[in-house]
Amino acid sequence: MSSPLLEVTDLEAGYGPINVLHKLSLRVDRGEIVAMIGANGAGKTTTLMCLSGVVKARGGKIVLDGKDLVADRVPAHNIVKLGLAQSPEGRKIFSRLSVLENLEMGAFTRSDKDGVKADIEKAFVMFPILRERQHQAGGLLSGGQQQMLAIARALMARPKLLLLDEPSLGLAPQIVVQIFDVIKELNKQGVSVLLVEQNARMALKVAHRGYVLETGRITFTDKADVLLNDPRIRAAYLGE
Amino acid sequence: MPELFAQTDVAGFEQYLLLGLVVGSLYALIALGYTMVYGIIELINFAHGDLFMLGTFLALSLATWVGVETVTGQGNAAIAATVLVMLVVTPLACASLNILTDRVVYKPLRNSPKLTVIVSAIGVSFIFMNLGLFWKGATPVRFPDLIPDNNLIAGTGLAFTWKDLMVVGVTVPAMIALTLFVKFTPLGKAMRATAQNPTAAQLMGINVDRVIAATFGIGGALAGVASVVYGLYIKSVDYQIGFQNGLYAFTAAVLGGIGNIPGAVLGGIVIGVVGELSKAYLGAKWSEATIFAILIVILLFRPAGLLGARVREKV
Ligand SMILES: Nc1ncnc2c1ncn2[C@@H]1O[C@H](COP(=O)(O)OP(=O)(O)OP(=O)(O)O)[C@@H](O)[C@H]1O
Ligand SMILES: [Mg+2]
Repeated sequence: MSSPLLEVTDLEAGYGPINVLHKLSLRVDRGEIVAMIGANGAGKTTTLMCLSGVVKARGGKIVLDGKDLVADRVPAHNIVKLGLAQSPEGRKIFSRLSVLENLEMGAFTRSDKDGVKADIEKAFVMFPILRERQHQAGGLLSGGQQQMLAIARALMARPKLLLLDEPSLGLAPQIVVQIFDVIKELNKQGVSVLLVEQNARMALKVAHRGYVLETGRITFTDKADVLLNDPRIRAAYLGE
Repeated sequence: MPELFAQTDVAGFEQYLLLGLVVGSLYALIALGYTMVYGIIELINFAHGDLFMLGTFLALSLATWVGVETVTGQGNAAIAATVLVMLVVTPLACASLNILTDRVVYKPLRNSPKLTVIVSAIGVSFIFMNLGLFWKGATPVRFPDLIPDNNLIAGTGLAFTWKDLMVVGVTVPAMIALTLFVKFTPLGKAMRATAQNPTAAQLMGINVDRVIAATFGIGGALAGVASVVYGLYIKSVDYQIGFQNGLYAFTAAVLGGIGNIPGAVLGGIVIGVVGELSKAYLGAKWSEATIFAILIVILLFRPAGLLGARVREKV
């Protein structure tokens, strides 16, 4: 048995005087898609930002590939190099950089120019519209295209673990389907995924396992199909 | 500038235009420091003009230390070497001081309300000004007149001296270098990315603190270059020049679209030209009023400045 790719134990985090996450524990095994669902303000984004080092953990452990990011005080700018990349909520595209430059920024920590070039090509194959628009400013893309760019940009770091924060938010249904197909495909290629979604049904359908987050605490966790059939989850998150 | 020329004097007009371009490129160089820092941490660094003033004092002292204070009795090589020393040491010192100020004053306030940081910047401005006052006293100090005044385009009816050439010859390459740097180097791209979205920049693995420090460094260095050029051009400096030149440069940055690098250059040129033309045709006492009137009119029609926010952010 290899150790989990990501193991979070008793994570505490918050803003100012307020604690948002309370002893949050979760795990992502190698090769898994793990979904995290929860209501508005539950702390999903805070969790991901903590993993990326943008929000500082106040306690607990974040062990990524055997390294404790909290105990070792790994700064945000070194976490990408350890194999973790994020496509953030709201996409956060560099709006005045071109699509191509956005992708280059995703590879900021890499020095293998040829590898980066090859990966840009891969991104263009995955999302052909990005090739067409490569010289346009990121801010001029539509919402769906920006989401594709945000995912492609995160992949440019060649992460072992990809964090996706609400990739379906505000997108047309057929685009959502396309995005989720990409997530499945990436996972087949070996990328582990931690997927945060309001669209719980879609998320649990692609995921292997899931966590339910309520006001900063994990209240349920199980195999995704078990969660999908749990009457409490169905009532609270699947609109039934 | 003497008000000798009648308004119909075409040669006069061209002359003032030329002069405006020269002076404007100086404002542009200072404006870049405002605009870059604003672009990256949304701080209006009120101390920037005073950093420029300290730069002129340092350049002046350098000339004294190397013993080249007038052209008389000096070979061209000694003069060139002195100017070169000024142009290397002053920007380095201004860059270091700017980075240090950020590290000591602004960085601890990174998560404080913007107003707190701005008030601190005003405080730093006063500290710098008082340092200057302490260093060289209250009366204007003569800056070594090392660059000759002979007209390089005699016979055209216009004047363009070695001094003018020096200003253009230093400021234009500096601005081109900056533009290329920001456009093409990894650090330059990281600066633009950080300015546009610091959180996303962190998620890319960019060391945002280092990028901010580099921005203060580059802005400071440009102020240092401007201070040498200013001293050699105007030949007189005092502890208050940071205020007026800083104000013009800041205005230039706003006019061009604060946070926008080409905008700062354009704004500097516009202010230089408008300033010189209004001095010539309306009288020196109207020049500031004209500059700010034009600023207000432009901002009424283009609130983000001439080149500001060309791409609308999509949410
Ligand atoms: N920068 C911040 N400063 C202060 N409080 C914040 C900040 N960001 C989030 N919060 C608070 O922390 C709590 C958790 O927010 P978070 O964004 O992590 O929730 P979320 O589960 O991602 O919600 P959503 O589904 O709306 O994206 C909320 O109460 C929110 O108001
Ligand atoms: Mg969220």
